[in-house]
Amino acid sequence: MSVFYGLYSAMLVGATPILLAAIGGAFTYYAGIFNIAMEGMMLVGAFCAVLGSFFLHSWILGIVCSIAGALVMAGIFVLFAVRLHTDEFLTGIALNLFAVGLTTFLLRDIFHVKGAFTDPRIVAIPAVTVPFLGQIPVVGRLVSGYNAIIYVALAVTVVAAYVIFRTSFGLRLRAAGYNAACLNSSGVQTPAIRVWSLMLCAICCGLAGAYLSLGSVRLFAENMSAGRGWISLAAVILVSGNPWGVGIISLLFGFFDGLTVFLQGSAIPTQFTAMIPYVATLVSLYFYSVRKRKA
Amino acid sequence: MNSVLIDLQHISKVFPPATVALSDVSVSFRSGEIHALVGENGAGKTTLMKVLYGLERRDRGDILLRGTHVDFRNPREAIAAGIGMVHQEILLIPEYTIWQNVVLGAEPVHALGALDIRTARERVARKIDEFQFNLDPDAPVGSISVAARQKVEILKLLYRDVSVLILDEPTAVLAPQEVGQLFLELQHLRDKGHTIIFISHRLDEVLGLSDQVTVMRRGKAVATSPASRLTKEELARQMVGRSVVFAAERSPAEPGEPVLVAQGLTVRTTDGRDALDQVSLQVRSGEILGVAGVEGNGQFELVNAIMGLSTIAAGSLFVQGIDLSHADILTRRRFISFVPQDRGRMGASLPASILENAIMTHHILDRSFRRWRGLALNYRRAIALTRQIQHQFDVSMENAAAPFQSLSGGNQQKVILGRELLLEAPLVLMDQPTRGLDVGSTEYVHGLLLDLRNRKKAVLLVSADLDEVFTVADRIIVMSRGQLVADLRTEETTREEVGYYMLGGKDAVHAQADI
Repeated sequence: MSVFYGLYSAMLVGATPILLAAIGGAFTYYAGIFNIAMEGMMLVGAFCAVLGSFFLHSWILGIVCSIAGALVMAGIFVLFAVRLHTDEFLTGIALNLFAVGLTTFLLRDIFHVKGAFTDPRIVAIPAVTVPFLGQIPVVGRLVSGYNAIIYVALAVTVVAAYVIFRTSFGLRLRAAGYNAACLNSSGVQTPAIRVWSLMLCAICCGLAGAYLSLGSVRLFAENMSAGRGWISLAAVILVSGNPWGVGIISLLFGFFDGLTVFLQGSAIPTQFTAMIPYVATLVSLYFYSVRKRKA
Repeated sequence: MNSVLIDLQHISKVFPPATVALSDVSVSFRSGEIHALVGENGAGKTTLMKVLYGLERRDRGDILLRGTHVDFRNPREAIAAGIGMVHQEILLIPEYTIWQNVVLGAEPVHALGALDIRTARERVARKIDEFQFNLDPDAPVGSISVAARQKVEILKLLYRDVSVLILDEPTAVLAPQEVGQLFLELQHLRDKGHTIIFISHRLDEVLGLSDQVTVMRRGKAVATSPASRLTKEELARQMVGRSVVFAAERSPAEPGEPVLVAQGLTVRTTDGRDALDQVSLQVRSGEILGVAGVEGNGQFELVNAIMGLSTIAAGSLFVQGIDLSHADILTRRRFISFVPQDRGRMGASLPASILENAIMTHHILDRSFRRWRGLALNYRRAIALTRQIQHQFDVSMENAAAPFQSLSGGNQQKVILGRELLLEAPLVLMDQPTRGLDVGSTEYVHGLLLDLRNRKKAVLLVSADLDEVFTVADRIIVMSRGQLVADLRTEETTREEVGYYMLGGKDAVHAQADI
C-alpha cells in the first residue's frame, strides 16, 4: 500500500509543473502562437520565487515574484515575436537560452553560490489539509495534505477549460489560431488576443516555476526546470491544446517522472531511470502518430 | 431619386514605386440602390473599395458619408459607420458553427465574460429569418456549400447592422441557380433599404441585377449610367476600350480517333468516401470536352486521377491506346499537357525565375536541355525555349531571370500555357485556365483552345465558368457528387439544363421550378 501512495504522490509532484506549464501552452496554442518559451518562463519563475521568498520572507510574495518574472519573459516574447514579427521558434529558443544564462548569473551574483542555493530563510509553499475529506481513511490520503500549488493547478485546469470553450474571449482566442485574418476582419485585433494568451501562459508558467523551487523542494538549482517546459510542449501538441487532455497527459508524464524518483536507489543505474520521462515522451509521440494515421 | 449616401471625390492611389492604381476617381453611391462596379482585372475596382473600407490608404481625395468627411483607418471603423465588405476569398472559420462565425467579435456575454449562447443563437436565427437566408445556425461552416458560406459572410455584416454592403465578385464561385438565388436575396436587401455595391466583371449579371453601373478602366472611372440604358456590347466597349467579340468563332467539330479513354475511374478519400465515383469518359482528337459542375464535386479528383496526382482505387486510363492507369507522373507528362487550376502553387513556382518556370518538364523530357550527361543545364537551349514561349504566346516580359511572380496574372498563365502546349502532347488537360484572368486574356485563351482543336489535339477543359464551357466545348459532361451525371452536346443543351444537372438531386427540382 505504501508503494502505491508513494507512486501516487510522486506522480502528482511530477505532474504539477508540467500541467501548469502545459495549460499555459494551451492558451498560446489556441491563439496560434508556436510558443516554446515555457521552459524559460518556468526557470525564471523558479528563480524569482526563491528571490522573493528569501528576501521578503513570504511564500505568497515568492509566487508573486515568480509570476512577475515569467511575465517579463512573456513581455520580451511579445516585443519580438508579436510586435517585431521575428520568428516565434527562434525567439523561443533565444528566451530559453537567455533564461538559463540569466538565472545562473544571478544565482552567482546575488547568492554567491554555484550549482544550487538553499537556505532556511526561504519560506516554502505550505501543504494544505482539506477539511472533512481529509478525515476519511484512504480517500483522505489521496486528496489531502498536498502542496497548495497542486490544488491551484487543478483549479487552473478547470478555469482554463471554461475560459477557452465557454467565454467570448475563448471564442476569439481559438479564432486567432484557426484563422487570424477572419478574426481581424471581425473587428478583433488578433495581436491583442495573442498578447493576452502569452500573459496567461506566463502566469501559469510562473506558478509552475514557484512550485519547482518552493513547492516540492526549497532551493534553486541551475537549470532546475530540466526540460519540463519541453515536455509540457509535447503534452500540448499531443492533445491539440485541450485542457482536459493536457491534464491526462501531464498525469502520465508525472507518473513516469515519479517512477524515476521512485527507482532511484534500486538496482537500475540512475542514468537509465532519469531517461524515463523523455523516453515516455518519445513513445507517446509514436503512439500518437500511429493513432492519427489510422483515423 | 434617392439621396447621395457615399461620395468618393478625386480618389488617387499609387502603389510604390509607380503603379497608379487609382487616378482621380469620383463616384457617388445613392442609398437604396444596387450599384455595380465593373472593369477588367487591375482596373482598380477592388482597390477603390478597399480605400473606402479602410484597408488601403489613399494618397489624395475625399470620402463623404451622408455629406460629412470620413476617414476609416480600419474595417472596424467602417463597420461601425454601417459599411461592410464581403471579400473575394471567404474568410470564415470552418471549425465554428454558423452562429459562432456570425457573432465572433461582437458576442453577447453574461457576467464574467461567459458567452451568452442562447441570446447569440436567437439573434442569428432572427437575422436569418428576417432576410430569408435558409441557413441552420448550428451547422458547422466546414460542412456547408460555398453559396451558403457567402450568405454567412453577408449575415455577419447584417448582424452588425450595416446599411451598405460591398460585395467583391460574389458570383465567381456559384452555380447559375445559386447566382439567381443570391440576386433575389440582394434585391430583397435593397428593398429593405440597404445599399449594395457590387464588384463584377460578368456583364450579364451586372445588367440583370444593378440599378447603376460604374465602369472602371486602368484606375479611372470611365462612366456611370443607369443599367437600363446600357447594352452588353456598350458595357464591354467601355470596359476594354474597344469592341469585344463574344461568341468565339467555332466551326463544327470533326473529331477523329479517341485519345483519352477512361473507364470507371474511382478515387477514394482517406475516410473511405468515393470522391470520384466510377467515371468513364472519352475525348477524341479534334474535340474539346468541357467538364462542368459546382466546384468540389469531383472535378479536382478527376484531374488528379488523370495526372497521377492521386492513386485510383479502381478503373483504367488509356491515352492513345497506352495504359497509363498506374503510370508515374513523368510518363504521363509525355502524353498530357497540363494546365492546373492553381497557377501559383501547382502551375509554377512563384519565386523562381520566368526561365526556370518556362523549362519545367521540358528539361527532363527533352535531352537537348542536358549538357555533360545531365550534370548541367544547357542554358542556351533554355533561353531559346523561353524566347519561343514569349513570342509565340505574346508574353509581355522584360527579363527572363526576373521572378515569375513579377508577371501579371495573364502573362503568368501565358507562360504556363506556352510551356505545356510546346510539349506537343496529344492530350491537353486544362483546369480552370481562365480563372482570375481579364476579358482580353480570357479571349486569348479561348482562341488558343479552338486552335488546339483545329490542330487535332484532344482537349479536356474543366471549368466552373459555364459561359466558358458553352463558348468553346463541343461536348459537355456534368459532374455532381463525384459522379458523371450528364453527357451533352453543346448545340443541343442549354445553360439551364446543365445547371439542373450541376445541382443534382432535390435541389435540382427546386431550381427547375424557379426557371
